[in-house]
Amino acid sequence: MDTLEGTVKSKILDADGIRRAVIRIAHEIVEKNKGTDKLILVGIRRRGVPLAERIQKYILEFEGVQLPLGILDITLYRDDLSTIDVQPVVHETDVPVSVEGKTVILIDDVLYTGRTARAALDATMDLGRPERIQLAVLVDRGHRELPIRADYVGKNLPTSRREIVAVQLQEVDEAEEVLLLERV
Amino acid sequence: MKLQRKDVLGLEEMDVEEIRQILQTAKVMKGILMRPIKKLPTLKGKSVVNLFYEASTRTRTSFEMAAKVLGADTTSIAVAQSSVSKGESLYDTAKTIQAMRADLVILRHSSSGSASFLADILDAGVINAGDGQHEHPTQALLDIFTMEEKLGDLEGKNVVIVGDVLHSRVARSNAWGLRKLGVNVTLVGPPTLAPAEMGGLGVKLTHDLDSVLPGADVVMALRLQLERQKSGLFPSLREYSHLYGLTTERLKKTGKQSVVMHPGPMNRGVEISDEVADSAQALIERQVTNGVAIRMALIYLLIGGSANVVA
Amino acid sequence: MLWLKDVWVVDPSQKLSSPQSVLVKEGKILAISSSMSDEEVQFKAQGEAIETINGQGKFLFPGLIDVHTHLREPGQEDKEDILSGSRAAVRGGFTTILAMANTQPVIDKRALAEFVRLQGERAGYAHVLPIGTVTKGMQGEELVEMADMKEGGVVAFSDDGKNIQNSEVMRLALEYVKLTGLPIISHCEDKYLAGDGLMRRGTASGRMGLKGIPASAESVIVARDLILTEETGGKLHLAHISTAESVELIRRAKARGVNVTAEVNPHHLIFCDEDIHLTDTALKVNPPLASQEDRAALIEGLQDGTIDMIATDHAPHTQAEKARPFAEAPFGIASLETALSAVYQYLVLTGKLSWERVIEAWSHSPAKRFGLKGGTLKPGTSADMVLFDPGYKEVIEPSNLVSKARNTPFLGKTLQGFPVMVWVEGRLVQRNRMLL
Repeated sequence: MDTLEGTVKSKILDADGIRRAVIRIAHEIVEKNKGTDKLILVGIRRRGVPLAERIQKYILEFEGVQLPLGILDITLYRDDLSTIDVQPVVHETDVPVSVEGKTVILIDDVLYTGRTARAALDATMDLGRPERIQLAVLVDRGHRELPIRADYVGKNLPTSRREIVAVQLQEVDEAEEVLLLERV
Repeated sequence: MKLQRKDVLGLEEMDVEEIRQILQTAKVMKGILMRPIKKLPTLKGKSVVNLFYEASTRTRTSFEMAAKVLGADTTSIAVAQSSVSKGESLYDTAKTIQAMRADLVILRHSSSGSASFLADILDAGVINAGDGQHEHPTQALLDIFTMEEKLGDLEGKNVVIVGDVLHSRVARSNAWGLRKLGVNVTLVGPPTLAPAEMGGLGVKLTHDLDSVLPGADVVMALRLQLERQKSGLFPSLREYSHLYGLTTERLKKTGKQSVVMHPGPMNRGVEISDEVADSAQALIERQVTNGVAIRMALIYLLIGGSANVVA
Repeated sequence: MLWLKDVWVVDPSQKLSSPQSVLVKEGKILAISSSMSDEEVQFKAQGEAIETINGQGKFLFPGLIDVHTHLREPGQEDKEDILSGSRAAVRGGFTTILAMANTQPVIDKRALAEFVRLQGERAGYAHVLPIGTVTKGMQGEELVEMADMKEGGVVAFSDDGKNIQNSEVMRLALEYVKLTGLPIISHCEDKYLAGDGLMRRGTASGRMGLKGIPASAESVIVARDLILTEETGGKLHLAHISTAESVELIRRAKARGVNVTAEVNPHHLIFCDEDIHLTDTALKVNPPLASQEDRAALIEGLQDGTIDMIATDHAPHTQAEKARPFAEAPFGIASLETALSAVYQYLVLTGKLSWERVIEAWSHSPAKRFGLKGGTLKPGTSADMVLFDPGYKEVIEPSNLVSKARNTPFLGKTLQGFPVMVWVEGRLVQRNRMLL
């Protein structure tokens, strides 16, 4: 959400809340995968990228292991290209190591309809054949349109479709909070 | 941002921002091209028609690859050109393609202006894959992309284009594109093939290759159509090659490790020696790879995203 | 009897350019006078009813004579025919048109010439006078039966559309034509220099990648034909002169007394090569539109008399033929209906040419050179006349063109200054832009 197109209803997470949620996700990733072996962190543009970087940093702190970090641009995999008015700018996908036989942790800010995650799955598969793919999100706001679920969730947030979840991260937005907005 | 145009007909009409956007997108496309799995769902359900009135396996294949990697369906129509009433068939063919609801038509045709002609008729987008002696924008864009990849920012760089510039759409498109990026372009050829009227492109024109080589960052040789000798435009391949052929010896005159380019297919031993063509300086194969990336970028920018309509 | 009152008469044959009253009776000009009382007019009518037209604010001039039109009949009636072409002529202010010989078949026999003349009479609009070819089949080899063709009504000979490449054939034609007293009209174009060029060679052709035709393609043949005319004492008319070099060659030849006249087309006076766009085949014409310098030399040459006349080179083509890529569209501009207005708007109103000179070059000069009736409003002559409204504006649209062709660069544009009444032999054939 580049511009906040609505009136703020409530603050879901503040900077501390985000920090705690991300740290918890980092712990869960290591726990669930029984260590850091074969893990690759892949942030989905845009806000998935700083989240992935933070997770990488925390895991380095707890485990002393620097996990490989990739960036995924899913523009070319979107299923709504022919319906949206503004063509998104294509950015580079940069996953520095082979995904072959690895566990790829896809990281995004919000899980909503599941369409972005679906595109990210396809984009990842086109890079090679990972052993498994897991999904980590800061906020899961419900309303899935595809059979997709997250493996790691910072905050489950029941919402209505009229509402907007705005994740703001210092690296992108120069603010650090998660807001719930009412569409105007 | 989508390109604010329906068609890509030439670089004369394109502004610097558009060129940069295409080059930037092509960079992403090249990354995809380098992957083991070269297939995207992006243009699923879109149809691209290759309409080629001149035989050109290289360009046609490059466009086909580009469209296919992006997930579009491609159809190639090779039309044997009869010498009379060609235009009627182009008009009628255009109407037929329109009726088949193609999203994009790639046209190669021997008449200057034919791509604009087609673009005026069709609702679908048109990419000019070479129209007569007018323009060949995708070739120039891939040349520029290749130069930038090697040399970085091109502003202030010196590019020498040598050969039959009069009859060359590659030279024209490169001259427009490079000029817009602040490159010093020099067109070189014998007076019969680089005559004064080429001054209309607003770039330097000369007949003496050796005098403009010092300082050249890029030397691009154009393909010499061997039939031109019969029309009296140059006396012999021997003399042409002696004056304008790129040899290792001659390239030393640039005083630097210049980049050598050629749009292909090459007449080895005429405009370029074997040794130069196969040297590390020559980026000719890279040009081919980059050609697919540039064409992917253009196809995506024209028909990816919202419906192919420009207000 | 017709009484045109207070009309500004432009008649260079009588050195007139002033308000006059004009009387027309029994198809002929009866009188022109700057002061004419009602009594005088009543007396001259001799009891006949008088139709009075107030010509205030309008020009009256002799019906224009166009010495270069392609009417396409016989053979290419999908482009134009003699009826549609002669209707277009009177709509544009022309009461006499010369029909070029490059029809299918070409007009190389008396019988064919008679056909063209008769079709013109049957149409009943402008006078249509045939031009015969110089050589049989326009092959540039054997001469036609010039004397016999003159009997059939031919007023000049021309292989227009093609140049007679063989200089000896041209020399012989200029000799033999002396039997008839008629001029040879030369289409000057060296076929090797012109090649398969598409527009004038210059920076515009270089920019667009359209094959160029050098100015020399015309001028070398102009020079040749002037030399041959001087040598033989023949009578030469140069069609559609388009280069500064040609103008200079003609100027020098005339100074030496060579029996030569020359024409220029309106489009060469108005447009230049820089105006051409790749998708706009309306400006694809032969000789090609020249440089700005050439255009200036043509205007100068026309004003100073080096170039004697204006001629349209009306070259109708079908829309399908012109709706092709530039290289494949045919050369030619259909201009009978727009030429006079375009010249008025672009050249007279802008002060580049005098109105009197334009009328002279399009009426009196061609009449003199080709020995034609008309081109004058002298009392006793046939009343071929044009009433021209300088304020009349019209959008050039397919729906109001009577020519079959639409290949005009003015399509969709508004022109100002049009013939609003046209008489042929005193008979009104066009009124308020509608044909009668």
